[in-house]
Amino acid sequence: MLLADSRLPAGAHVSSNALEAALRDGLRRDEVGAYLASRQVTVTRVEAGTAVLARHLALTCAPEELAPALAALEAEWAARTPGRAQREITRVLGDGLRRLADVLWPGAIPPVAAGAPPRPRPVVLGLVAAAAGLPAPELVRLVAYDDAQTVVAALLKLEPGDPRAGAALVLEACAAMEPLVGPLAALQDPVLLPSAGAPQTEDWAEAQSALPRRLFRA
Amino acid sequence: MPDPVTPTRSLRLGVAGPVGTGKSSLIATVCRALAGELRLGVITNDIYTDEDARFLRSAGVLDPERIRAVETGACPHTAIRDDVTANLAAVEQLEADFDPLDVVLVESGGDNLTATFSPALVDAQLFVLDVAGGGDVARKGGPGIGRADLLVVNKIDLAPYVGVDVEQMVADALEAREGRPVLALSRSDEASVQELRAWVLSMLAAHRGGTHEPQDPGPMAPHFHADGEEHTHDHDHGHPHEHSHA
Repeated sequence: MLLADSRLPAGAHVSSNALEAALRDGLRRDEVGAYLASRQVTVTRVEAGTAVLARHLALTCAPEELAPALAALEAEWAARTPGRAQREITRVLGDGLRRLADVLWPGAIPPVAAGAPPRPRPVVLGLVAAAAGLPAPELVRLVAYDDAQTVVAALLKLEPGDPRAGAALVLEACAAMEPLVGPLAALQDPVLLPSAGAPQTEDWAEAQSALPRRLFRA
Repeated sequence: MPDPVTPTRSLRLGVAGPVGTGKSSLIATVCRALAGELRLGVITNDIYTDEDARFLRSAGVLDPERIRAVETGACPHTAIRDDVTANLAAVEQLEADFDPLDVVLVESGGDNLTATFSPALVDAQLFVLDVAGGGDVARKGGPGIGRADLLVVNKIDLAPYVGVDVEQMVADALEAREGRPVLALSRSDEASVQELRAWVLSMLAAHRGGTHEPQDPGPMAPHFHADGEEHTHDHDHGHPHEHSHA
């Protein structure tokens, strides 16, 4: 529950999950539900799978094997996250979560090699889940919820409407992920991470990173 | 990420206050007054992109590389208080890139009277009001006005034009702050700039001497008793409580 709270001090409030760029590009308010659903089965699916795999590695690898195994997982994640902006913000948010985790679960996140970029958020989240005893299906639902809530919280600032309608959108989005929870939670081999690309979503993430006078960084 | 060498921990100085009171200009003034003797860095927080950072870079008071912008996702208040992650990361990165720095100034996005810095982000903070915002603002109190380490009443050169009695405003502020320091400032009044400079230096000395303890002006009610706080915060620290306007 702590991890799912948007008030968690991990620096995530700067992201709209590219909703701002999408709205500026003409996405209508009544299409936001569709945007959320499409995210769930594409980019969010990759993120949730990455988190599950990081959790699995943390629970099964010998300590000296963990760092190289995580590096291999990161490579699989990066290969399925083609947008530069998307990879960059995911690492920034991962570093924010890592800062929090270093205080709450000391030692849960192995340090990266000198000069290496910060770990992406789903990897950090998976490591936290392992340390905190969060089961894999709950971890998938957490990623799903977090993705949808990030978009909807931003929507209330960008196109203010009835906040209760926003809460309904989050529920619907989480329902879209539900059929995938079982298969994602069962993942054990990084090579089998789903490659569910979403060029439009990645494009909006790229556009967001260069958007003038934006409210959100991502 | 653990660095092979831990950079020197600078004095992290927050500058908060409502929109338009002159926070960026005050930072430019501090840089102008101290860049010759101290190694400075600046982090700005903006609601939209990096306007304040660009203003400061164009002011030419500091190497543009030492001025960095943090975007606050429509929540300037959150970024300095409830979730300081992005700002803390930026401060630490700046300290690492330009090690050693003496002072890093963190400018909050202009918010309202309730926005103050978390002690997890800054060691000390200034709260900036200006005479043009109205002579009665200091009386209204609030965490920043009441308990920031220094309250600045800015743009005093404008007082005659906006019908504000500076002495009265400062007296109100001193009362609201129960004696904590208040500085009446104008960037065109060299004496007041020197007082600001002296305050920053005294805070740096207190920080280095370990006699300054970061205060959290936030959650407490704006009205309190000075002795009542002493059991929670040691406020009897080394920097002088000079009152420039008695």
